[in-house]
Amino acid sequence: MRRRAGQNFRHGQPMLAIPPPGRAGPPRLMGADGKQRCPVCGAVMARRELRPGQELRCRRCGSTVRRAAGELLAPLCWALATTGLIVWGLAVCTPILTFEIAGREQSNWIWTGIAGLAAQGYWPVAVLVFFSAMAAPVLHLAAVWYVSGALSSGGRWPGAERAARLARAVAPWSLTPVFAVACGVAVVKLEMLGRVEWHQGAFWVLALAACSFALARLLDDRGPGEARGG
Amino acid sequence: MTDAGRVELARALVAGGLVCYAPANLLPVMTIAMTGEVDRLTVLGGVRELYESGLAPVAAVVFAASFVVPLAKLLCLSWVLLLHGSAGWRRERTAALRVLKLIGSWSMVDVFLLSVLVAVGQLGALASVRSEPGVCFFAAMLLFTLAAGEVYEPRLIWQRREAAAA
Repeated sequence: MRRRAGQNFRHGQPMLAIPPPGRAGPPRLMGADGKQRCPVCGAVMARRELRPGQELRCRRCGSTVRRAAGELLAPLCWALATTGLIVWGLAVCTPILTFEIAGREQSNWIWTGIAGLAAQGYWPVAVLVFFSAMAAPVLHLAAVWYVSGALSSGGRWPGAERAARLARAVAPWSLTPVFAVACGVAVVKLEMLGRVEWHQGAFWVLALAACSFALARLLDDRGPGEARGG
Repeated sequence: MTDAGRVELARALVAGGLVCYAPANLLPVMTIAMTGEVDRLTVLGGVRELYESGLAPVAAVVFAASFVVPLAKLLCLSWVLLLHGSAGWRRERTAALRVLKLIGSWSMVDVFLLSVLVAVGQLGALASVRSEPGVCFFAAMLLFTLAAGEVYEPRLIWQRREAAAA
């Protein structure tokens, strides 16, 4: 059977294989002797069939070598990534909260903090916040959307492997859940000083954080950096 | 990048993180001016303010994310890199890198917190929030440790001694 970009088949189950950054393909699980090896420590492992949801863990180093994804992994990732992309747009376009003190008020969008930091001359911090709170989440969602869309449709989408590498490269920098927690802490702090009113944007940030968190769990990269079934 | 290059780069990044750690914690990260009262806050100063306001759980979250996690990351990465090429504690080092990946990004809470406060703290004399140089060191330390964790892959722990030395 000919393999499509970013897709692999084992025991009739689709595997969402996302190679780590800087590597052309997934790590070699098979040694030259044809035995299955742990890609982290190289230990020889007994081959066994996995049911959906089961994982094969290396006894020597404790890394997860393979995880049976089941038929629904790619469609589920695609649905989550689609939702995440829509929610990202809403989270960026709507205000998160308004702070009011002595009759004057100021609203906060994700980007107003970035603009504020840049205006104060703290460009490197502004760039870091922009990348980790806005750019990396949308790049990650778009890349996962593309790869999981290719896998779900069974089509041969150009550049799927490149998109998979991009998804893996930006995943650690996609920090929407951390941003959501920071918003919560900021509100607690601001309530000591004035009046704070939540807006729709807070809900969208929370929803985006939930999508990102769920995708991170589904595409968990324990061990060699592989989210795959088997 | 070669494996030896990865190890060297990870060491340089951790060294950079260690250099930035002291100024990140000693210098103020923000100045909050509210109705005439001006507070210059360091990372731990912000935690103490939350604690003294009766918000101990929130203070604990910020303390863990902003102080404990970066320190744990730096110490853990230093330990892993110091032992690179040796056969001891390999399983533990692999597990430590896995845990670091899970918790490492939470130290960004303080930087995001600052960005939210700066966004709403633009009300002139009534309320203003200004970033201070400490935040640059703090952000640099986070970047260095995050990047080091990505560059040094767990498989490098299991390299044979001669391969690790090459």
